[in-house]
Amino acid sequence: MYNLIWTELLKLKRAKMFLVSLIGASAAPIMMFIGFQATLAEKPAERITFESSFYNTNLYVLVLLGVLLYGIITSYLFYQEYAEDTLKSLLTIPVSRVSLILSKMVMLFIWILVLTLTAWGLTLILGLIGGFEDLSAQLLLRTLIQYIVGGTLLFLLSTPTIFITLIYKNYMPTMIFSAIITMGNVALANSKHRVLFPWSAAHSIANQEFVPDYPPLYSYVSVLGTALLGLAIVLIYFRRTDIDS
Amino acid sequence: MNAVIKTTNLTKAYGKHNAVDRLQMNVLEGQIYGFLGQNGAGKTTTIRMLLGLIQPTEGQIEIFGELLRKRQRDILRRVGSIVEFSGFYGNLTAKENLMINAKLMGVHTRNAVMEALEIAGLEQESGKLVGKYSLGMKQRLGIARAILHHPELLILDEPTNGLDPVGIAEIRRLIQTLAVERKVTILISSHILHEIELLAERIGIIHEGKLLEEVDMDTLKSRNRKYVEFQVSNPNSAAMLIEQYGINSYEVLNEGIIRLYTHLGEQGRLNRLFVEHGIEVSRIAESETQLEDYFVRLTGGVPYV
Repeated sequence: MYNLIWTELLKLKRAKMFLVSLIGASAAPIMMFIGFQATLAEKPAERITFESSFYNTNLYVLVLLGVLLYGIITSYLFYQEYAEDTLKSLLTIPVSRVSLILSKMVMLFIWILVLTLTAWGLTLILGLIGGFEDLSAQLLLRTLIQYIVGGTLLFLLSTPTIFITLIYKNYMPTMIFSAIITMGNVALANSKHRVLFPWSAAHSIANQEFVPDYPPLYSYVSVLGTALLGLAIVLIYFRRTDIDS
Repeated sequence: MNAVIKTTNLTKAYGKHNAVDRLQMNVLEGQIYGFLGQNGAGKTTTIRMLLGLIQPTEGQIEIFGELLRKRQRDILRRVGSIVEFSGFYGNLTAKENLMINAKLMGVHTRNAVMEALEIAGLEQESGKLVGKYSLGMKQRLGIARAILHHPELLILDEPTNGLDPVGIAEIRRLIQTLAVERKVTILISSHILHEIELLAERIGIIHEGKLLEEVDMDTLKSRNRKYVEFQVSNPNSAAMLIEQYGINSYEVLNEGIIRLYTHLGEQGRLNRLFVEHGIEVSRIAESETQLEDYFVRLTGGVPYV
């Protein structure tokens, strides 16, 4: 497994997608910063806190940007072997099909963590530049955990996206799927049912914001159930499928 | 010689259509086996089954005397392969691409990658991004990857696909070198008859999923050797005459035809001999059946593409 992860890292060398994803991950904190600056221009007396900056950025990442961005890098990692026509040579080395999937998932997790930390770090730097208030070590630790938990949950929810990539061997269906999920997140944003929909439940869990109508367990079951079901389908499908193209 | 690859009733069905139909293939140790067939005949499907990329619908595959479905990982470690066009990561150099394979194959020898590149004639281009390689260079790199771990068996599916004549000749030389110097058993598929003729010691002809025949090239050559035919008025007298002349390799066919397999350049002298002994010669024809004729005959006269 170590060798497989090492090779997955090597495959990203000179890959423009990594840089593009960093720019994508930077979009949420930058847009949020611009938004706060616009507020300050209109209402100079307004207090902008690090708390609200971290919260809003994470909300945008988990509900809007992350689903799309992580969907794209998921399909990049898994479609790459089809696009470069390298899958058949990997499997005849031989590399176990399950190990190949798992190593790519580890790579995806590392990538998502890097993007999550980029968003968190940039939020902090921009807050310092903008002179945001109420920064504390406790806040930094709490928000860092919230970002990492949110990123990890979105990673777990990547298994359906992986399945769609393996089935269609193309970026486009994955993009459409990610767009539908994002629309679902937006539609449920102000509804109590948001804690049941796996992708919006990820934000509820990360920020521990549940609703009185449903116990938190429902959110955990929703996310983990989707992730595990997706993983099972991916492994069963990929183990049995013929590599005939 | 032992069979390195042996298939028994190997079948792959897609719906009602059998892409490969009860294939009985035997590739013997140390041989270059040419797997010949038109596009769509079932060559690639067979090769993908041999490499575990496609699951057979029926039948079994034995490689190195062991069942592939039971010992696939152990078997494939001893096999190198190219399946159609060689795929590589375009953003990595040739050396980096092979390093990926070396790492996953467990090849820890420091020079293994450079040695493989050198054999493929790519040592000068090892630092170039594969995305900038020509098709011919990629195919050579594919062979470098296939031999990186010193396999005992090479399975090459159309390795000269899309190459120009110079590229084809280079790949051919490379394959011949590997067979001679490394004593590797090689299964090479192609739809180009001439290529197979130049390389293979034994051929298997597949048509519409069925293996029509497996035959040694030597047998084929003797079966399809050159000859000269005389149509004469008295074949018995003609036969006695040519035996006196010193020719023993001949056949007497119907309609007064006598076919000679030796002394092919002496038609004029033989014609005079027959005439001088009162034997009329109504036709002299020289013929040579090549692999192409043989193939067309075997596949039912289907024009070869």
